Amino acid sequence: MTAETLRAAAAQPTNLRYGKGLRKLITPVAIAIVLAALYVWVGTLQLDSIEQRSLNSAVIIQKAIEHLRLTVVATALVVVIAIPLGVVASRAKNRLITPFILGTANLGQAVPAIGLLVLCTFVMGVGFQTALVGLVAYAVLPVLRNTMVGVQQVDPALIEAARGMGMTKGQVLRRVELKLAVPAILAGLRTSLVLTVGMATMGAFVAAGGFGELIINGLKLQRMPVTIVGGVLTASIAFLVDWLGGLAEDLLKPRGM
Amino acid sequence: MFETDTGGAQIQLRALTKQFPGQAEPAVDSVDLDIPAGELVAFVGPSGCGKTTTMKMINRLVEPTSGEIRIGGEDVLALPPDELRRHIGYVIQQIGLFPHLTIGENVGLVPKLLGWDRPKAEARTEDLLALVNLEPGEYRDRYPRQLSGGQQQRVGVARALAADPPVMLMDEPFGATDPITREHLQNEFLKLQKDLRKTIIFVTHDFEEAIKLGDRIAVLRNQSHIAQYDTPANILANPADDYVASFIGADATLKRLALMTVDEVPTEGPPDPALPQVETGTSLREALDLMVANGTDRCSSPAGVLSYTALCASIGREEVAAGDR
Repeated sequence: MTAETLRAAAAQPTNLRYGKGLRKLITPVAIAIVLAALYVWVGTLQLDSIEQRSLNSAVIIQKAIEHLRLTVVATALVVVIAIPLGVVASRAKNRLITPFILGTANLGQAVPAIGLLVLCTFVMGVGFQTALVGLVAYAVLPVLRNTMVGVQQVDPALIEAARGMGMTKGQVLRRVELKLAVPAILAGLRTSLVLTVGMATMGAFVAAGGFGELIINGLKLQRMPVTIVGGVLTASIAFLVDWLGGLAEDLLKPRGM
Repeated sequence: MFETDTGGAQIQLRALTKQFPGQAEPAVDSVDLDIPAGELVAFVGPSGCGKTTTMKMINRLVEPTSGEIRIGGEDVLALPPDELRRHIGYVIQQIGLFPHLTIGENVGLVPKLLGWDRPKAEARTEDLLALVNLEPGEYRDRYPRQLSGGQQQRVGVARALAADPPVMLMDEPFGATDPITREHLQNEFLKLQKDLRKTIIFVTHDFEEAIKLGDRIAVLRNQSHIAQYDTPANILANPADDYVASFIGADATLKRLALMTVDEVPTEGPPDPALPQVETGTSLREALDLMVANGTDRCSSPAGVLSYTALCASIGREEVAAGDR
């Protein structure tokens, strides 16, 4: 018993926890440095009127809001669509339809995104919703796949114990299978989020705004600073979102595991 | 559910059969068995003989193809399965503690499913942890991975007892532990069962364990056909056939001696301090071991002198008594 207390204590030595805490700070600090450098660099440039129209705080804040809105709404839809589908695909009795679910999700990622957006435009016109369809189709796979695998990898003995204790199938799913799949689902969600931030730049092609507009305008008008600002800001958001995802994984993963 | 006291309920199996789809032979073929209230019945048999399937039909983790199961006279197949299982304790070899829940939450799960209020469920959890010799203050808030295998299995037993079920099903519960821990768990469990008097079905392939724990043993052959169903002493004294005898092994008499204590044998004269000493409650097997080790044919217990002849006679009498049954 004493030995076990020691073992439990040894599993998380204090210095290691501090080390982990410090490592957690590296990403936001790096992002802050990069953004500060970008700001200083743009400040040293002589911007012409075209560049000034894009590179001012009002435009950048508006593009950031559009970009984040696309990302957040798309991710929310991915959660709502992919987790239930992942659970459905994980059930042994559904093994006949599992390949179709996975195939469709694979297709969403395999089809070139720009092509998918163009096809969607024919049907829905341009705008926020069109971009959303493309983003969701692209980002469903990681969450779906991880949910499926996360639920399937739960020790069958735990499910037998849960059933043997009198949990209904729904209770086993909610209280045991999904809880234990949380780390896998969150890892998938983190991947999806980062993919979505990057893909959201494509929204500019269907007039959904976002930093993609800066990148494309910069390219079209041959104003390199505009493109670079759009690209660096997109990358910064991707890193930031990945970092937040990591924090969420640590916070939300069930204790005791 | 189960209109009996929680001390144990009789289990009756009638023509219980399980035919898995796609298999030529039924896995369990028309089993009839009466398990008296408050007794521990060990199902012993080789792997794949259907002993676990038979047990799992009782809490309907496996749905019977045909036949009848009654617990305390109530028709189990007419009850809702999930509700039924909350009133039957279930312990498995892999233990199956939920790693994301604390020990206290694991034990309190069934009371929660049954809708007990919180103070009642918490008090019950504390009692149960104390019952299986785990200090509640120390273990309640730990997670399963912080416990040793033996401690985890104790929590498994406590969890199965949580709602005070009259019936418990145990599937090789101590099979995955090392021999020393296993013996320790078995002894603790025997002591516990002496007070609780639950009706228990205990599946094992270890005949020694069945002798030690079982009030009765059901020796099963393929398709769960019952080769013999009797008390350990009677099975050891009169194995029904070669199959049962092969399970007992070569030292049936020694195993019988292990089931009896020196207090059951008549002694001669007052205790003799010059002879090897045995205490009350010592098994006859240990007494015999002591005699052989000391090269004597007598030893002394607090009740008097115990002779080799009396020891042999006690086995003989046991045999006659068994024959009378």
